[in-house]
Amino acid sequence: MKRLSWTVLSLLAILALVLAACGGGAPAEEAAPTEAPSSGVSEEPAPATEAPGAPEAKEVTLKIGFTASVTGKYEVSSAAQVNGLKLWMDSVNEAGGIELSDGTVVTFDYIFYDDESNKERVQELYTRLATEDNADLLISPYSSGLTAAAAVIAEQYGKVMITTGAASDSTYQQGYTHVFQAYTPASRYLTGAVDLLASLDPNVTKVALVYENSKFSTSVVTAARDYAEAQGYEVVLFEGYDPETADFAPFINKIEAAGPDAILGGGHRVDGKAFAKQLYEKGTPIKFFALLVAPPEPEFAELGDAAVGVIGPSQWEPLAAFTPASAEAIGATWLGPLGNEFVSAFEAAYGDEPSYHAAGGYAAGLILEGAIRSADSTDPEAILAALNGMDLMTFYGHIKFDTSPENHGLQIGHSMVYIQWQRDASGNLVKQVVWPKEGATAEAIYPIR
Amino acid sequence: MRALRSPGLWLALALTAAAGAWPYFTGSASNREVAFTILLSVALASSLNILLGYTGYVSFGHIVFYGLGGYMGIYLLSERGVSLWLAVLAGGAIAGLLALLLGASILRLRGAYFALATIGVNEAARAFINNFQPFGGPIGMTLNFRLYDHYGGAARALWMVYGVMLGLTLLVILVSYLVKNSKFGLGLLAIRENEDAAEIMGVTAPQAKTWAYVLSAIFPGMIGVLFFFKNGNIEPHDAFRLHLSIEMIVMVMLGGYGTVLGPVLGAAGYQRLRGMLLVSPIFKNIQLAVAGGLLLIIVLFVPAGAVGWLRHRVPVLRKVLE
Repeated sequence: MKRLSWTVLSLLAILALVLAACGGGAPAEEAAPTEAPSSGVSEEPAPATEAPGAPEAKEVTLKIGFTASVTGKYEVSSAAQVNGLKLWMDSVNEAGGIELSDGTVVTFDYIFYDDESNKERVQELYTRLATEDNADLLISPYSSGLTAAAAVIAEQYGKVMITTGAASDSTYQQGYTHVFQAYTPASRYLTGAVDLLASLDPNVTKVALVYENSKFSTSVVTAARDYAEAQGYEVVLFEGYDPETADFAPFINKIEAAGPDAILGGGHRVDGKAFAKQLYEKGTPIKFFALLVAPPEPEFAELGDAAVGVIGPSQWEPLAAFTPASAEAIGATWLGPLGNEFVSAFEAAYGDEPSYHAAGGYAAGLILEGAIRSADSTDPEAILAALNGMDLMTFYGHIKFDTSPENHGLQIGHSMVYIQWQRDASGNLVKQVVWPKEGATAEAIYPIR
Repeated sequence: MRALRSPGLWLALALTAAAGAWPYFTGSASNREVAFTILLSVALASSLNILLGYTGYVSFGHIVFYGLGGYMGIYLLSERGVSLWLAVLAGGAIAGLLALLLGASILRLRGAYFALATIGVNEAARAFINNFQPFGGPIGMTLNFRLYDHYGGAARALWMVYGVMLGLTLLVILVSYLVKNSKFGLGLLAIRENEDAAEIMGVTAPQAKTWAYVLSAIFPGMIGVLFFFKNGNIEPHDAFRLHLSIEMIVMVMLGGYGTVLGPVLGAAGYQRLRGMLLVSPIFKNIQLAVAGGLLLIIVLFVPAGAVGWLRHRVPVLRKVLE
């Protein structure tokens, strides 16, 4: 008995030691040594390689703070987003940073914490980033819900935050002035699919909207429904399903009873794949089928024949060909690599093809870079002003923000591309961009069955 | 009011107040956020303890009260424009009302059946809110940033919410102590030990259990309003997160269930540990695994929780640790 209690005591002692060790980085400790080297805007004189007359050439390191979902349900998408952002940062830093007209060289550093894909600590961590870690610029977490919580903090401390991976419109209708969206908002996610349908077949009148009951998909389809109705379509079915739905038979029966020509909807990866598969197996006669999130993912090809003809909105596709010429055409400034350069750099760094989440992360970095270049300063107010006036074109597309008080920061330049899975000449499944027409790489298959 | 002179109560209150005053001394918003998370957990765990620790009923779905209260409060704040104070009271009231209605039915169940029923209640509430359009359905509700201007701007509002949270936490601890040392509380303890014997001895078990349930539901309802007001938006899956419900039980068990100080220490220790691991340069990428391992060690070797273990080991402390 005595021995046991000693074991317990010694274990507790070890535990206490471990806890004390963890305490090193804890908020309670003031100025933990690990943070010292890069806290705030560190200004170090650059090595004197410049000509003797060059006045105070200095290097400024801006710190970018964000939380990432290292654990939890957003893990995969969030990791892609962070990889994209890091790739941008590495490329800027390796190129020697951004040189301003006064000779200052701006480089970047980042600091991030795990938000565990839930909202509980997002504000705690962003407050820490803004006040203790003195992050100069912020990037949003992945997903609209976490971003909404982080935006309150960014606004409160007057820190610029670029949101990526957060499509919901509502965040930009709350009166924020420091939050800027890189994604096409949810309200325009599926409207292009309606336009595509209209251009393919003017005689179609009946559409069904079947969607996942979640914040993102509900906002998207509600906007799509209003848009479709305004275009004269009859919405014969507007039906939400639970996020955990695996059996779509009841919904497919309802669809067949309503007899639509086109189906729009879906939600996320898993449910979207199951929906497409079961609809195909049931042989439901539809002409047009557009789903959220799942189709642009390369793994959608696993569905084989069921994938053929399925259309999906994507923030960005490797095939999209935005060039300095397209920037000139609309009078915007071009910045950053070409699409194929980004794809090959990403593949070289991480070994797989970038998804649009990764491109969104890179684009968030480019937006900051563009703002600093056009402000020609690292002053937060100047960066803010540059973002408000931004008209930028990148491999990811056009970037421009709404500056009205009602929708400040909402993305109005960027638009979705719509992909469709098709069989190429040798029978392999490939993604083709089918809308908008200017960026299309193939004609859309219509009707799909 | 002899009970109010007990050192056990004052120890728990003093510890909480001292920890709660820490952000005011440092003036650091980051410390305040850390302390807010801790106080939130302390208050939630202490409320749950009234049912779990004193009455012996394991409620796995206790978070339903937090979610429902939060929803009610945010609805009133954003759609009806009422003040935060009224919203907080309404959040507590709706949670208490739900507990009163539920108590009459599911508190007849015992052991695992009760635990299962509480999970069902939480899932049912989430499914209901998901389809309830006035509360925004699956999209939830978002507070306009200008709303904080009524409270002197966002910065002031967040400090104010923190102050309210601290006050509420102290109130929960006081209530928890008063319940434990009242005739009502003794009835609950008797129910915990043997419900049938307690009834024979004159405890009206159904009534006592229902009031314990109501009492343990009111505070989570009020806390929900504070949290989501601070957070600026609310969605069904954040409001009714079963995971948080289970964490509440873990916190109570860690500190020592059925004691006043136990849930306070358990919640503070658990959240502090998680918070430190999250931002520690060494552990931040494996923080969940480390936290899990530490919890396993504690549960294996100190099953009665910290306070239970101390009371057992050091008899002198039994007078001080309630």
